Amino acid sequence: MNMHQQQKSGTNPYVEFIDVGVTKLSQAGTSMVILDRISFTARQGEITGIIGASGSGKSTLIRLCNRLDDPSAGTIELNGQNITTIDPLLLRRKIAMVLQKPFMFHGTLLENLQRPFLFRKMAPPSAESPEIVRVLGLVQLPAEMLDRDARSLSGGEQQRVNLARALVNHPEVLLLDEPTSALDRPSTARLASTLNTICQSEHLAIIVVTHDLYLAEHIVNHLIYLEKGRIEEQGTCTQMLAMPQTTAFSNFLAQPEREETSSS
Amino acid sequence: MNNPQHIIPLNVIQLVSAYALILLSLGLARLQHIGHEKQLIWSSIRMLVQLIAVGYLLHLVFAINSPLPVVLMLLAMAGFSLQVAGSRIKKRMPNFYRVVGSSIIIGCGGVTFYFCLVVIGYSPWFDPRYLIPLAGMIFGNAMNGASLAAERLSSEMHERREEIECALSLGATSRQSAAEAIRNAYSAAMRPTINTMAATGIVALPGMMTGQILSGTEPIIAVRYQIAILCAITGAVAVTSFLIVQQGYRRFFTEAHQLKSE
Repeated sequence: MNMHQQQKSGTNPYVEFIDVGVTKLSQAGTSMVILDRISFTARQGEITGIIGASGSGKSTLIRLCNRLDDPSAGTIELNGQNITTIDPLLLRRKIAMVLQKPFMFHGTLLENLQRPFLFRKMAPPSAESPEIVRVLGLVQLPAEMLDRDARSLSGGEQQRVNLARALVNHPEVLLLDEPTSALDRPSTARLASTLNTICQSEHLAIIVVTHDLYLAEHIVNHLIYLEKGRIEEQGTCTQMLAMPQTTAFSNFLAQPEREETSSS
Repeated sequence: MNNPQHIIPLNVIQLVSAYALILLSLGLARLQHIGHEKQLIWSSIRMLVQLIAVGYLLHLVFAINSPLPVVLMLLAMAGFSLQVAGSRIKKRMPNFYRVVGSSIIIGCGGVTFYFCLVVIGYSPWFDPRYLIPLAGMIFGNAMNGASLAAERLSSEMHERREEIECALSLGATSRQSAAEAIRNAYSAAMRPTINTMAATGIVALPGMMTGQILSGTEPIIAVRYQIAILCAITGAVAVTSFLIVQQGYRRFFTEAHQLKSE
């Protein structure tokens, strides 16, 4: 167990949403409720899944965790501390986010992995450094790929680089927004396996927004079903999928087509 | 520097004969069914009225020869520059007028006074014969740079939203995340001025130099003035554009390094 793991040991509630709400003004000037009284807890060593149809507020919710946006009401706590009291730059190192579309900066795969260090004004690690070797191992990318142009990689490879880049900061929480939206089933299966391994080995609290039931079934411990900005049902993933308690979630599961092309 | 004996004063008949060329343009436009005849007529009338008005205004300001009307004219130039820059841009950045207005006043005002007082060094400082035409050239060119800087910054910030949010998610500051957008906007604002410097004297003789030669100034002296004014224009475009991009990018972010929604 390394130092980071020791600091994060235990199964304390790590990210807590307490009555969080988001209200936005529409173009017509009327008030729209995007998220309404959201309360849940994401724990270390667990993967929390947020599932729901397009427009349910999933992506808005995940963006609140690392303060890409702020809620209109309620509080979000990281290990008992209100996140608005933490320097946003430090917060985003503790709570890393993998965005839906894997954006690759201009340059090689190695240069993409070095970016977070440059943002922190630190000397970028070399290809042989323990940091780079560690994250490549976590996402199962071969070291021979480090010199390749990041933008020439396949969708699945770019998603792995995206994940590795988020992990170089040694985060305590990992957020993933629709990580499988551009992946085929074999790539999704590989990513699911990787995420399970990372969650345990790094003892992370992972929050994943997805519409992909396959991914949810294979990695999620605690599942939250969101509809029109409200939590309709939450509980253990296996129980919820086997025996939905609400009509809303049953209807969602019964929909033959849940494919989404846009983020919610 | 002038020798008025060499200049041929244009009379009304000569001006009317010059307008024959506008009529020729009108005929060519009609022949090709381009459909901008009305625009051509309206623009030529506007030019006539504006220049005659400015001519009389300058005549008055030269006659008064005191600082207040000169300073008022400079402020009017800054105001018109801002208004024209704003009208050219479809998608304006947040707080556009505050950002661009302060940049034009500081950038152009500072460079104009440095150029007039330090480089040329005439006295008194408000001499309208120097200050007004030189400021006009500096403000006019910086206005183009300001439009380009502001427009490009807005479009870059819009097009690079994914890249910016990705960088922010990785712990970048708002400045670090917008670095590419800032660089591209500044470069776009400077490019025409840099190109003009490179082409001056080969592709075309600049207006100021032509005017001075026509009014009897020795070509060598006219060339020196032209070199100096091009340096001043470059400086004004650089300072104004720099201030716009540096002030401007901040308007797209909150204090917590969040990209504001569009």
